[in-house]
Amino acid sequence: MSNRVAIIDYGVGNLHSARNALELAGAEVVVTSRAEEIVKADRLVLPGVGAFGECAKNLRASGVTEAIEEHVLQRGKPIFGICVGFQLLSREGHEMGIHPGLGWLPATVRKLETGGLKIPHVGWNEIEPVVDAVLFDGLRRSPTFYFTHSYALVPDEPGIDAAFCNYGERFTAAILRDNVFATQFHPEKSQENGLKILENFLRWNP
Amino acid sequence: MLKKRIIPKLLLRNGRNVKGVKFTELRDTGSPVTNARIYDAQGADELIFLDIEASGANRKILYDTITKTASEVFMPFCVGGGIRTVDDVRQLLLAGADKISVNTQAVERPDLVSEGAALFGVQCMVVSIDFKRHGPACKVYTHGGTVATELDVLDHAQQSVARGAGEILLTSIDRDGTMQGYDLEITKRVADAVDVPVIASGGAGTLQHLCDVIADAHASAVAVGSLFHFTDQSPIKARAFMHVRGIDVRSERTGTTAI
Amino acid sequence: MTAMTELRRCSRCTIPETHETIVFDDQGVCNVCRGHEFKKESIDWTAREEEFAALIEQSRGKYSHDCIIPFSGGKDSTYTLYHMITKYKVKPLVVQFDHGFLRQRMLENNVRTLKKMGCDFLSFRPNWRVVRKLMLESLKRKGDFCWHCHTGIYSYPMQIAVKFQIPLLVWGEPSAEYTSYYGYDEQEEVDEKRFNRWVNLGITADDMVGMIDGVEPRELDPFRYPTYKELRKLGVRSVCLGSYYPWDVKTQSEIIERELGWQGNEVEGVPPEYQYEKIECYMQGVRDYLKFLKRGYGRTAHLTSIDIRNGRLAREEAMRMLQEFDGKRPPSLDLFLDFVGIDEEEFLDLAVSHIVSPWQPEVAKIPDGRKLHDMGTWDRTIPLTEI
Repeated sequence: MSNRVAIIDYGVGNLHSARNALELAGAEVVVTSRAEEIVKADRLVLPGVGAFGECAKNLRASGVTEAIEEHVLQRGKPIFGICVGFQLLSREGHEMGIHPGLGWLPATVRKLETGGLKIPHVGWNEIEPVVDAVLFDGLRRSPTFYFTHSYALVPDEPGIDAAFCNYGERFTAAILRDNVFATQFHPEKSQENGLKILENFLRWNP
Repeated sequence: MLKKRIIPKLLLRNGRNVKGVKFTELRDTGSPVTNARIYDAQGADELIFLDIEASGANRKILYDTITKTASEVFMPFCVGGGIRTVDDVRQLLLAGADKISVNTQAVERPDLVSEGAALFGVQCMVVSIDFKRHGPACKVYTHGGTVATELDVLDHAQQSVARGAGEILLTSIDRDGTMQGYDLEITKRVADAVDVPVIASGGAGTLQHLCDVIADAHASAVAVGSLFHFTDQSPIKARAFMHVRGIDVRSERTGTTAI
Repeated sequence: MTAMTELRRCSRCTIPETHETIVFDDQGVCNVCRGHEFKKESIDWTAREEEFAALIEQSRGKYSHDCIIPFSGGKDSTYTLYHMITKYKVKPLVVQFDHGFLRQRMLENNVRTLKKMGCDFLSFRPNWRVVRKLMLESLKRKGDFCWHCHTGIYSYPMQIAVKFQIPLLVWGEPSAEYTSYYGYDEQEEVDEKRFNRWVNLGITADDMVGMIDGVEPRELDPFRYPTYKELRKLGVRSVCLGSYYPWDVKTQSEIIERELGWQGNEVEGVPPEYQYEKIECYMQGVRDYLKFLKRGYGRTAHLTSIDIRNGRLAREEAMRMLQEFDGKRPPSLDLFLDFVGIDEEEFLDLAVSHIVSPWQPEVAKIPDGRKLHDMGTWDRTIPLTEI
């Protein structure tokens, strides 16, 4: 089976690592902002760094949102959202004002409540997967991943959480719903654990 | 829990890594890309590259080095040296850096920090502060430690955070390369006063020094140069040592979870 | 100053806190011992063996040789060769990287072994003029002069794999026998990551180019790992036999002695009952002495710890032995100092600059070790010219 992955490029910085990591994991990768590439791809990756509002604005301006939504929400193409690409799946983000997200998930994004711990939450932290999914195959107990963020996605109710992480509060580190998987951490920066999860994504058939 | 980070710090000059004592007496310490691959294999948590000869002519070498590194190692890295404009920041991020460290410009044109933070996020902007003690005072230096300012290290750190620095890389010029231990007092003073993580730098000479600056001076991360370049210590050995002494570092590849 | 006995040690074996990557658990047991428990109790060795047999079948008969067996002629590589030929009937290319200090009895062993086994053999010895510089530089930087040997041993056979297009290499013991860079629960591939993690002391050939003078980059090629691209194109697998077959040094040494006439030898700082260990290098005594100066233990601690893990030795006896045998100044040090061109004071200063805390050796009080029977026959040549 071909494993063509389209990394959606909407002008939010460096996608080298995501591309190289996916290639190493065995994918054929295109970095693109064109709808036809999204049509051709078997899987999609939605990256994102920086501020929620800025990212949401750029994504909408890129003109590929419709194609993404058609192929993910209607045709069931697997998608992996990373960091702000994870947060964007929510209804709205409360970072420097209130900004609408893609609204795929019943969730909002608000500042981490760390109870006095330093912000941003930057570095390696353990995650605790709470679903049994192929995406977490081959990882050891409490695997560590690289996080760098100040905001957290908060689902309206439980059910879509796939993994948690603790930093002052217990927050959602990953979500899983049908063919949508997304993580607050950066798999493309998380050395072997990250490569493992990307490999798993490539053989995930939701 | 969030792990304390072990961060090799690599100084770039003409496409090679170098390391000296108190910012002088430089020795060759290898090729940046192979160094990065080694530290990746040894489980370093992150890397810092500082271009210490950041002239226009050498800029291309830096971009090439960063691009090549980003294509070969899958870990976060921070790049600094000679960054003057938001466009410099953007170029380095596009080349593959995850964070940008600014030093001289954070003093001379502090708006660069806030502009960068607004465009690329605070997690992206690291303010690097080099300091020297003068009796009880502790002054900030710029231009690779060659120019003294009147800024107090604590004030400068707090103002940088207010402008949008996501982390502080705090380097003691007096201790740099001496391997006599970090400046615990100043590190603690800064780490306790700012809300963002402080990366302690300058002076690591033994694995115990790494433990001390985290346990006693509240650093969130340790930057390490000479200890990894000039002794047979490595991030993976450091982790095991620190883990045994109660520092919460990543332990996945030390064998502790192997059972 | 610390006495050897003051170091914190594993409550089960004799490995001290200064051992690289050691971690003690709540019961004071080290991670290497825990790894051995895993090896004994949790691995399905039958399944592993089947996996290995399938791996060999993938390359059997398809190339000039079925596999490469990197070979020093010491107990582990000799046993690997014996096992691969008698059990799996492979036609291997045996590849030796000659570090320059091979001892006479070992060379005689090799001739016998290779004739008895019947296999093609390649040996490569790098430029001695370059090697001396590399030894001194790695001693200065890392307190370990064996860079040329370790990088060569692990790079050169990979280069040969690329040259001859043979995609399978079978090494001997997995590193989990001695350290915890990898656990027995992991798939330890003898690849560039492993090379970088500790084998090359954190220095690649590309790094070394800028660290020493008077050596051309191409002269460091024997120590250079092939590129990831070349190896991936070849589809190389580079594995340890000990990942598929439960390694047991003592039993295996007995087998090669009996079946191949392999002979052990005395080694500086090693108790006489362990004459199968590290007979392949006449600089071994200096290497172990350096380790003692830096970390407060020598080879006896290693050897006895393996015996303890295999239930063959009591810990008290092991402690007595390591106090008797570890930490002697080897007579071969004089030879080493001539080779690298420094005096003993400089050597000790360098060693002491690499000490691992909390160990503090009392350098002035280190007793002399005994001279080996064949030391007079070791080659002492210094290059004619530095050019």
